[in-house]
Amino acid sequence: MSLTTNNINQNELRKLAAREGYTFFGLTVPYLIMVTALIAIPVGWLFYLSFIGRDGTFSFENYERMWKSKAYIKIFITTFKISILTTIICAAIGYPLAYFMSQLSRRWANICMIGVLIPFWTSLLVRTYAWLVLLQKKGLLNNIAIDMGLISEPIKFVHNTTGTLIGMVHIMLPFLILPLYANMRAIDKDCMKAASSLGAAPSRAFWTVFLPLSLPGLLAGLLIVFVLCLGFYVTPAILGGGKVIMAAMKISSNIELYFSWGAASALGVVLLVVTGIILFIASKLVSIDQLGSR
Amino acid sequence: MMKGLRSVGLIAAAGLAFSSTTAFADELRIVSWGGAYQKGQSIGIFQPAAKAMGITVKEDTYGGISDVKLMVKSGADKFDIFSSGAGSCASGAAEGVLEKLDYSIIDVSDHLPGMYSDYCAGADIFSVVAAWNTETYGDNGPRTWADFYDVEKFPGTRAMRNKVDAQLETALLADGVPMDQIYEVLNSEAGIERALDKIRTIKPHIAVWWSSGAQHAQLMKDGEVDMTTGWNGRFDVAKDDGAKVAYDWRTGIMDWEGYGIPKGAKNKDLAMKYIAEMMKPEYMAEFAKYITYGPTNGKVYELGLMEESRAKMMPSHPDNAKHQLTLSTEWYSKWRTIAAEMYTEMMTE
Amino acid sequence: MENSSLNISIKNVTKKYDEFYALKDISLDITSGEFMTLLGPSGSGKTTLLMVLAGFTNPDYGSVKFGEEEVILKPPHLRGIGMVFQNYALFPHMTVEQNVGYPQKLRGVSKAETSRTVDEALETVKLGGLGHRRVDELSGGQRQRVALARAIVFKPKILLMDEPLSALDKKLREEMQIELRQLHDTLNMTTVYVTHDQKEALTMSDRITVINGGELMQLGTPNEIYEHPENGFIADFIGESTLLPVQVKNSKATIGKTEIKVAQPLDKDGNFSLVVRPEKVFLAPSKKKKDENYFNGRLLDSIFQGESQLLVIDLESAGGEAQELRVRIPNQSVTDKALPAIGEKVTIALKVADSYVVS
Repeated sequence: MSLTTNNINQNELRKLAAREGYTFFGLTVPYLIMVTALIAIPVGWLFYLSFIGRDGTFSFENYERMWKSKAYIKIFITTFKISILTTIICAAIGYPLAYFMSQLSRRWANICMIGVLIPFWTSLLVRTYAWLVLLQKKGLLNNIAIDMGLISEPIKFVHNTTGTLIGMVHIMLPFLILPLYANMRAIDKDCMKAASSLGAAPSRAFWTVFLPLSLPGLLAGLLIVFVLCLGFYVTPAILGGGKVIMAAMKISSNIELYFSWGAASALGVVLLVVTGIILFIASKLVSIDQLGSR
Repeated sequence: MMKGLRSVGLIAAAGLAFSSTTAFADELRIVSWGGAYQKGQSIGIFQPAAKAMGITVKEDTYGGISDVKLMVKSGADKFDIFSSGAGSCASGAAEGVLEKLDYSIIDVSDHLPGMYSDYCAGADIFSVVAAWNTETYGDNGPRTWADFYDVEKFPGTRAMRNKVDAQLETALLADGVPMDQIYEVLNSEAGIERALDKIRTIKPHIAVWWSSGAQHAQLMKDGEVDMTTGWNGRFDVAKDDGAKVAYDWRTGIMDWEGYGIPKGAKNKDLAMKYIAEMMKPEYMAEFAKYITYGPTNGKVYELGLMEESRAKMMPSHPDNAKHQLTLSTEWYSKWRTIAAEMYTEMMTE
Repeated sequence: MENSSLNISIKNVTKKYDEFYALKDISLDITSGEFMTLLGPSGSGKTTLLMVLAGFTNPDYGSVKFGEEEVILKPPHLRGIGMVFQNYALFPHMTVEQNVGYPQKLRGVSKAETSRTVDEALETVKLGGLGHRRVDELSGGQRQRVALARAIVFKPKILLMDEPLSALDKKLREEMQIELRQLHDTLNMTTVYVTHDQKEALTMSDRITVINGGELMQLGTPNEIYEHPENGFIADFIGESTLLPVQVKNSKATIGKTEIKVAQPLDKDGNFSLVVRPEKVFLAPSKKKKDENYFNGRLLDSIFQGESQLLVIDLESAGGEAQELRVRIPNQSVTDKALPAIGEKVTIALKVADSYVVS
């Protein structure tokens, strides 16, 4: 008995399946092109440029410079310190807010969400300068506090780490709240009721049930905020008063200083690698996979 | 500040370089520093000169000589003329990214001595000075660099530039080095270190490291700091605007600004003629009405194009110039990179 | 054996949302160890009442006592109840064991004791050996068993269940109904069970409380509720029935012009309904009897339904309005007798003992 008589239309159906497969794969093509053009090629180029010295030949000089200078280490420490602090403060402010919103009716939650998102509609530059106006030595906040007799000397809110953090937290907060809120909304409200009915006091129910279930959203938010912070330029430049120097600012000033892409690229490469290592370690410490997948 | 921001733009600009704007035969593109400075240039020089020649001049801002270098090296074409400090111009010339100026077309015969170079045609003279808040100190502010560095006699917050340019000189002047020996002392890493050590003594009192003229003007206007280094013209404009600010010419470090042409500029020949036009004294006199930067062309004074009261406000006025140190372009072309690195180290310590 | 259950006493519980009564003056006593079902359509208030018992909803006023203790002001976690939710409400970040052990952990029970009781509870719900599974690896039925094990592991005296079987398919649901009932008999906890499925209520309960529009409609055993519904709503809601309009005057009931005899005394005049359940009526034998009421009609449709044959009859004597009546004939009879053809005239009978009128 031959196969073809037994398996009617088998080959045709296989071809049909293959064709469907190609079409399906075709959906990823725009993305692949974009990733290649916008990420793979530029990153590769960055990497290549970082090994090109001032005279245009292959050289490690851009990396050597970083080794030798204490400034670079200090700048990296500042970059990570500011990023981590911003992330922590965002979490401390954003988590309770997201929780509050997740407990509201959809209508009120949407109204709150608009409040959270309004800052997105204003340019980052405008918001940053607004903080400067509010917080500077003779700014609105200090003036009011002095007029009310709360303080006698103005408090230094800006042109330092404090100012940088205030500005950055304000800008980053929505990035933490959005994934966190979405995650909290998805948590079955009956889970908290169940915990309560089983004997858990509200705080206990929160720590043992709600918090673990909201961790994926929290981690996603923390990660987005942290990574975005690493590349911050405008806000620390304006609110840091030149004292808070982050990697992106140094990348820019290196171009001015050495007039070569290499000096800037090397810094970019190091930032990329260090960030990669930190995220890798973080992912090992906290396996997102183990947390509350449903 | 704006300048710092423009540096971000520069990265984007390099990306855009491939889709450069088309240059028309009777159109020039000129870039400068923005703010009160470029406003004066535009009204006093750029547009009237263009009108006189019957051409169109489009203006934009830029981030400094590094933009020129990146543009030329990446083969882009974004502007034909740029306005730049003499030192920056010299470093651009050293990198070979500038066109040599043709002084058979550009007439500098009436220029004050030293106010032009092979690659840069001087247009105005400005000074870095120590400005103080008159609300804090009244008339008795820091009138010398020694005062600026004396935190006992003049307690208060300070601001200095976040780049090395014209900052080391202030430290050595404060340290008692005579004017004519400043660049001699700075002619070694040890000498630079000496200047940096002096700055380190007041570092805790430096509230802000400013990055642009607009920023240091604003700092004084808002009373955010009690004294700062900065460009005299910006302070004068701020003062006209109600800022409580004063400065003494004895802290002046005089420098000059001029026009250069990037190598391979599309409209090089026209740019050369346009620069020649802008060298005319009447434009410089007009410009000086908007900001207190003095003319490089001696004819302005000879022809009496400027009122005496205004002339006395210019850094280059003999009464003012005699107190001041003249910035050494030569020193910057030799030491700037090294000094800048060391300065950044000092800032980030 | 220790007394492992408590009676529940609900008095005057009222909850109003704006102008709408979710619960209207509900008073109800649930005896210790009883399986009580709160039955009603969606939005009737049955779940609200359960949430009042659990402590998740505070009424505007009223009293809830567990045994002798007033609990209305107690927060849920201090009420000591076991609760099973409609969608299980298992903790997705915990294994089966951790889920079931959760209440024990909260109570500071030792590890060994927790482990023992968890195993016991899992055995009880027939999930022995699945303790290490993740919740998302379980089927719907298994999840509901885990939820049940979690609710009983700490031997609560009161077990509340909120439509626990509604997410399961029909066959599994029917199996679970019997299992839950057996489990109740073993554990002897006072159980309050909420459902909208009247058949489920009839199958499982000791007593049923029918709730509609926030009001308690009837309280009784399944038999009482089914056989003697107190009003048209219950008659319609519980089981299948046709309500025929009846006029009562001077203790005489008539449908149209035909007088019918009823099983109950008629002391009030007015409009009532005769409850006619399909399985109570039958094709009238040729010889009429005194203890039966008869209705004439025409056969509209005859539908084979497996265990029975359903006849749809168009009544003639329904007093003006067209009235359909359904007759269910058990399958064994179908094979025995010849059925009337569609369009044929038929007479159907209802025993006087089965004839009840309701308001």
